[in-house]
Amino acid sequence: MKAKFTGAALTLLLALGFIQCTKDRIINEPGNLVPKTVDQDPSLPSIAINGAQLHAEAFGPADSALIVVVHGGPGSDYRHLLNCQAFAGRGYRVVFYDQRGSGLSERFPKDSYTLQTMIDDLKAVIQHYRTSPAQQVFLLGHSWGAILATSYINTYPDAVDGAVLAEPGGLVWDDIADYVKRSRSIVMTKELFNDMLYSDQFITGKEDQHAILDYKYALLSAADGNPDNPIGDEGPVPFWRSGAVVNQALFELGNDIEPDWTTNLDQFTTKVLFIYSENNEAYGLAHAQKVSSAYPNVELFETLDAGHDMLSFPTGWNNTFPKMLQYFNNLKH
Amino acid sequence: MKTVLIFSMLLSASLAGAQTVNWARQAETGPKHLLHLNTGLNYGLTFGAGYGYQVSTGMLPILLQADYSFPSGEKVLDDFKTRIGGQIRLYEINNFHFSAEVLGVFRRYENDFARLLNFGADMSAVVGYYRPTWFVAGEFGFDKAIVTNFKHTQAYREIYPQVKDGWYEPATGGNFHYGLQTGVSFRQYGITLKAGRLITQDFSTTPLFPFYAQLGVNRRF
Repeated sequence: MKAKFTGAALTLLLALGFIQCTKDRIINEPGNLVPKTVDQDPSLPSIAINGAQLHAEAFGPADSALIVVVHGGPGSDYRHLLNCQAFAGRGYRVVFYDQRGSGLSERFPKDSYTLQTMIDDLKAVIQHYRTSPAQQVFLLGHSWGAILATSYINTYPDAVDGAVLAEPGGLVWDDIADYVKRSRSIVMTKELFNDMLYSDQFITGKEDQHAILDYKYALLSAADGNPDNPIGDEGPVPFWRSGAVVNQALFELGNDIEPDWTTNLDQFTTKVLFIYSENNEAYGLAHAQKVSSAYPNVELFETLDAGHDMLSFPTGWNNTFPKMLQYFNNLKH
Repeated sequence: MKTVLIFSMLLSASLAGAQTVNWARQAETGPKHLLHLNTGLNYGLTFGAGYGYQVSTGMLPILLQADYSFPSGEKVLDDFKTRIGGQIRLYEINNFHFSAEVLGVFRRYENDFARLLNFGADMSAVVGYYRPTWFVAGEFGFDKAIVTNFKHTQAYREIYPQVKDGWYEPATGGNFHYGLQTGVSFRQYGITLKAGRLITQDFSTTPLFPFYAQLGVNRRF
């Protein structure tokens, strides 16, 4: 009995010694589990606007009509929308930026985020890249980015020359809440369900521990391409770094103030190209018609053989790009 | 420091045990073995089994315990939690019992991006009113993820090629839990139910599903 106990104790000590001898890493240190942001890595392309350092790039002739790509989330980034660089080869200046707190852009405390700040940032990004008042400005928003683009149009109906909106959850809060509920409808017995919940007992982070929270949020992103996910994507969506804090902050703000971004849309009479996908079971034609009806002049377009992130995968992109290009060309001076 | 924490955890685990127990029965002399099956919601839809062995009776009854649980899903072995430790009934007056449990935890999580291995500790205090055929109690506890090993898949390396695998510290997580437990006992069997809320250690955020519930069956022999 004594010999067995001694053997077990030695085994335990050896195991503990092995663990102790390995080099430990700090979980909240930027660069360990998630990439550094532009304020931590000066080699990343960035712009300084509205009191924030944002990860941003632009492609195409500087004086050509601007297409400002507005990514989703909130908290996602523009990596999964880089296919839109193709517009740069068709005579457009394509601008990408990660919203504050998202992707590789600078992080801020949770209570600093407001919906108006996100609109102000978009305005400042446009001002940064616009070379003359005559230069046309088009918005291309995906998911939350389409909501943010609409909130910008609703605030400044005369400031935009056209917009492509891809599956915004809604333009009033009730529609957003309905869509989010449907898009997160997952059967409890599925692997996807425990993949999303089980990690909560391994990692927790405080509100200011962005690297931890962003990593946890990144783990959730693995669910995007799961076949049991109703949004219908064909695989995981590429991203740099997920902005967990801005995501939570803006959702909580939405819940609190239940915004309506349609109050001035009747003043925006330019045709809007409104895209929805065939494989997103949570969206569909009926929801697309309901959400898009806030615009007085809308063309609905269904991307076949694609899910919510129809601009990120080859099939969805190939089925959508010609339509978007035709739309922009028709409005371009 | 980490070694000390792990050693303390395992040492305490080796001295202790834990299942939802009717102390009015378990404290008596008699069958020393306890088998336990359960299902519930606890960071997923989970199923579990456990074994307990009562090593002392009388004023300070101690139940040693080990259990294993896993969440539902198509991949059965990729996620699981094992616990070893025990619980002790510390005080009893007029059918009110106060008990404490300490469990060492080893758990695994895997999805398309990462595999996590974690050593942790789960500590709880339970106060309740216990009769031989039923009981109701309140519980409060803390589940600490002390040290975690991260290993990432090629899919995540395509997202972030410079991600660093290995053991991470300081403690990578911790959640408090509080709730109620109740149960009925008959012959050698007991049916137990517990449910409550989860909240993260900073008291300001919650897990994605901030509740837990568990239905269990015990058999003493």
